[in-house]
Amino acid sequence: MSTDSDTTPDTEEAREQLIDLAADFYDQFADGEVPTMTIPTRTKSNIVFDEDEQVWVYGDRNSTRSAKTISGAEKILKAVYTIDFLSQQLEEDRSSTLRELYYLSESWDLDEAQFNTQDESNNLIEDLEIVSDVKREDFHMRPEESGAKVMGPLLLREQTNRGDREIHCQDDVGQGGYQIPNNPDTIEFLDNDAKFVLCVETGGMRDRLVENGFDDEYDALVVHLGGQPARATRRLIKRLHDELDLPVTVFTDGDPWSYRIFGSVSYGSIKSAHLSEYLATPEAQFIGIRPEDIVEYELPTDPLADSDVNALESELEDPRFQTDFWEEQIELQLDINKKAEQQALASRGLDFVTETYLPERLDEMGLL
Amino acid sequence: MTSYQSRLGEGEGIAEELAESQRAISIAEFFEKNKHMLGFDSEARALVTAVKEAVDNALDACEEAGILPDIYVEIQESGDYYKLVVEDNGPGITKEQAPKIFGKLLYGSRFHAREQNRGQQGIGISAAVLYSQLTSGKPAKITSRPKGQDEAQYFELIVDTDTNEPEISVDETTTWERPHGTRIELEMEANMRARSTLRDYIQDTAVVNPHARIEFDEPGLDESLKFERAERADLPDETEEIRPHPHGVELGTLLKMLEATDSYSVSGFMQEEFTRVGGKTADSVIANFNDRHYGRGMAWQPPKVNEDADIERAVEDAVANKGAETTATFAAAVSDAIHDRDRVAYHEVEAIVDSAAEDAEADGDTTFGATVRENAVEAAWGAVSDNLSSDLYALVDEVTTKRKDDAAIEGLASRLADKFDGGGRHRLTRDELRGYIDRAADMTEEQDDATFGETARENVLEALWTAAEGVPEEPPKVSDIADDRDTASELLSAMRETDIIAPPTDCLSPISAELVEEGLRKEFDADFYAASTRDASVHGGDPFIVEAGIAYGGELESEGTVDVMRFANRVPLVYQRGACATTDVVKSIRWRNYNLDQPGGSGIPKGPAVIMVHVASTNVPFTSESKDAIANVPEMEDEIELAIREAARELKSYLNKRRSMQQRREKQDKLATILPEMAEKLTEVTDNDELHIDDSLARIMNNVLVEREVEDDTVRVRIENNDDTNADVELTDIVTAEPQVTNGATVVEMDGEWFVKWSPTVGAGETAVLEYSVTGEAEFTVSVDGIEEEKLTVNA
Repeated sequence: MSTDSDTTPDTEEAREQLIDLAADFYDQFADGEVPTMTIPTRTKSNIVFDEDEQVWVYGDRNSTRSAKTISGAEKILKAVYTIDFLSQQLEEDRSSTLRELYYLSESWDLDEAQFNTQDESNNLIEDLEIVSDVKREDFHMRPEESGAKVMGPLLLREQTNRGDREIHCQDDVGQGGYQIPNNPDTIEFLDNDAKFVLCVETGGMRDRLVENGFDDEYDALVVHLGGQPARATRRLIKRLHDELDLPVTVFTDGDPWSYRIFGSVSYGSIKSAHLSEYLATPEAQFIGIRPEDIVEYELPTDPLADSDVNALESELEDPRFQTDFWEEQIELQLDINKKAEQQALASRGLDFVTETYLPERLDEMGLL
Repeated sequence: MTSYQSRLGEGEGIAEELAESQRAISIAEFFEKNKHMLGFDSEARALVTAVKEAVDNALDACEEAGILPDIYVEIQESGDYYKLVVEDNGPGITKEQAPKIFGKLLYGSRFHAREQNRGQQGIGISAAVLYSQLTSGKPAKITSRPKGQDEAQYFELIVDTDTNEPEISVDETTTWERPHGTRIELEMEANMRARSTLRDYIQDTAVVNPHARIEFDEPGLDESLKFERAERADLPDETEEIRPHPHGVELGTLLKMLEATDSYSVSGFMQEEFTRVGGKTADSVIANFNDRHYGRGMAWQPPKVNEDADIERAVEDAVANKGAETTATFAAAVSDAIHDRDRVAYHEVEAIVDSAAEDAEADGDTTFGATVRENAVEAAWGAVSDNLSSDLYALVDEVTTKRKDDAAIEGLASRLADKFDGGGRHRLTRDELRGYIDRAADMTEEQDDATFGETARENVLEALWTAAEGVPEEPPKVSDIADDRDTASELLSAMRETDIIAPPTDCLSPISAELVEEGLRKEFDADFYAASTRDASVHGGDPFIVEAGIAYGGELESEGTVDVMRFANRVPLVYQRGACATTDVVKSIRWRNYNLDQPGGSGIPKGPAVIMVHVASTNVPFTSESKDAIANVPEMEDEIELAIREAARELKSYLNKRRSMQQRREKQDKLATILPEMAEKLTEVTDNDELHIDDSLARIMNNVLVEREVEDDTVRVRIENNDDTNADVELTDIVTAEPQVTNGATVVEMDGEWFVKWSPTVGAGETAVLEYSVTGEAEFTVSVDGIEEEKLTVNA
């Protein structure tokens, strides 16, 4: 099968990378050394902005897990067990979810190798991604929650366990749209009539746009983000931009947390900074809700909470938001001390968003 | 009732005194009445007390003769009675001594000696003898063999209860296997309910007398308990007897001393009979005594020359028939001398008048008789004390607060002045002066609506008392003071008030920290021992030294609270634990700081530990006559606390180390599970050969790793220190062939094996290499000392 020829080298490569990692530990033991695993420190303070790529990547600081301490030894032990598991999984060309890995560790004979929390196993997988330079998806590990949905004039082919499927993201899908698979790299874009990508934060707004036929009318690919977007969603957005040359726009609530959603689509997030080049779309543009819109459209608002104010102030110091646009908007928001949700546009009628707001904004951005 | 304790301190005379009073009642009745004080109030306790007295006596006898004590204690059932046998290897006693030592209640030189000794603790072996005789009707059986004699003497001793006179009823020659010593056998009504107390007492005695060997047998034991002498234990240093310190005597003792002394004057008495008193100190004591006994003379400011009360004129008027010129010269001399002074007291005026009179007599042929002089003194003193209120106003105003109303001060001053109005010498004691002030102040408060609080009154008292002059009287003769309890009491107060340097401390013989530890070590199977000895300190007039010891872990009972062992002058304190200052101090220490469990953060700590405290003093302050508990004397409590803390600090560092070793062991256990599994998994995943992880483990454990490399004929022994502190390694490599050229190591041959000894200090993270060559086949056996087992990995 053609799929085999596509995936086998990747799978084999991923497996070898993992085993190389194990071999490093083996060699350390064989040399009488203390096995250690060095990874970049994954905290906010060790995230630097890559000006060239316009994405966030890890800085120079490393933390070392050493078998010298019980906790370090346990981490490495868990890593070795996980490597063993992943390499078998790859060998058998199967996949599992992060949660399955967590439960599966219960079956390991050594208590010390078992995970105590799901976070622990999730983090370990990310550690392994970093040290082996292989993406989680290539380990055949997927998150529990499914990816978000796409609706719009796009024809694609997805490799599934049951063979390849050609899917048109308007004609072949229901009201819910096309479900993004865990590894969007299994998708091949065949054809499209889209003019741009519209990423929407909330499910309610996505449904409104679809119900109003916005995708059809404006040839938009409506991608539902569902809060902080999953890796698969961000990867797909990146591919839509890079491969189909589609402008990417992001439509969120008008509050500091939503700006961060935009930031993670656009510049990358802290936890997956090692994959920013692969996941982030620096060219993405922000539609709104802008603080300016709150004033202009007289939207119903809530006052800013203290945590909102703090978040806005820290965004002012965040290099991701150090542009004229963001500085102006954030200062305005602090000034008016108000925030508004996407749905607040409904105060002007259900069609206001599709007939007035979005066309006006997209027009301003030169996309219509 | 006067306390028994204070009477005990009265010295030798008490024996006779007691005996005298006993003639009215029988000795048996006396004993019956006082047995709770003597420690014979129950049958169980009687046995403990008898053992205690006999053992103390035996130990003392040996020590006094410079013999390392070897004591045998046995309790036998004997029909309805119990028989107590105590043997020592002391110097033995003569027939003449026996009745005195064993038979006479309160015989002995111990009670009044200012010396650290066991005898302070009890009433003596004679009480046990009497008790046994009274309860069983049997005589005390004494066997004695003085050193160097071939045969032993056997006596039976009975106390005549009518006369309190001991009598030897049997006296015969016998044989005894001990080369010298004394054996006493007492039969008495008793029971063994206090068995564990008895055993504890014997064990505690052994702990605190590491120089003694003690054997103990009683019917409940399968075989006798043997408490061996500690190896390095010598006899305690002989103590110097010291004279009492003025701060350490009580009134009764003082009276006895006054009676007994050969000194005539108080000054001589003080210097002769007390330690640390010289001429100057004696003068200070006498000055203080005089203030109490005679009071001080109030001294007043002389009136200004132009004031109404003109001294010169008053004296002139008072002197008759001495010729105008002589009288004028005399009056002027008196007046000038008085005006030369800032203040003048009556006795000073007297001295001035006398001096002026003598001058006048020397100048001419006039005589100034006593009457004339008296008149002159009265006249001058009258003039001096004519206007006291202004003088007193100044004194009072000086020491009272500015806020006091002027009228109130005026009122107080004039009322005080009134008290002195009646003429006289204005001589009074401090108490009398205080009385004047109180009355004047009360009146002033009442009538002038002012307040004179305690502080104000005290300040006024102090100002007036300071302004007064000590009187130049000779203190009464010693014999007079001895007859007058009140005067003696004044002398005692004066002694206590006077600053006197602390008594010398060579009268004490502490066990020494080393032997305290040794004593614990031989009686308790523990993991850790610590001990401390404080420097000598003083309470009252008595020097004391506190020692403490702690044993921890091992076979010690880990459930419940720790054992607190209390000792005074090498004698275990058995009863009244809760009333003892030692217990209070142990409870007050925050033991959690020393890593001992202490529920609630106070009280006796818990855990497998023994805490011992020894107080050595010429006079241990006990709470009561039964001498079971040390009184809460602050100076002593402080020292007890410091001694315990000193030992506890060592315990803490031991426990810390032990804890860190335990953590290390736990870590090793854990890693010893994880790492081999990791290695196995790695071997499996990477499909490689089996892994050897010892070296990695050594590094991980911060261990000291000893490895051997043999390359042709060259042998290298590497010591790698992965710890963060220096490692002092003592390595012995036993080689079956002769090694050549060793760097820094010594080689000793023994039975065809060569012992390569190497003792490097390997710094943290460093490696030391021992290299030598061996020709031909050789086998190696390495042993490493100086490194805790947990920290060592030998791979050679």
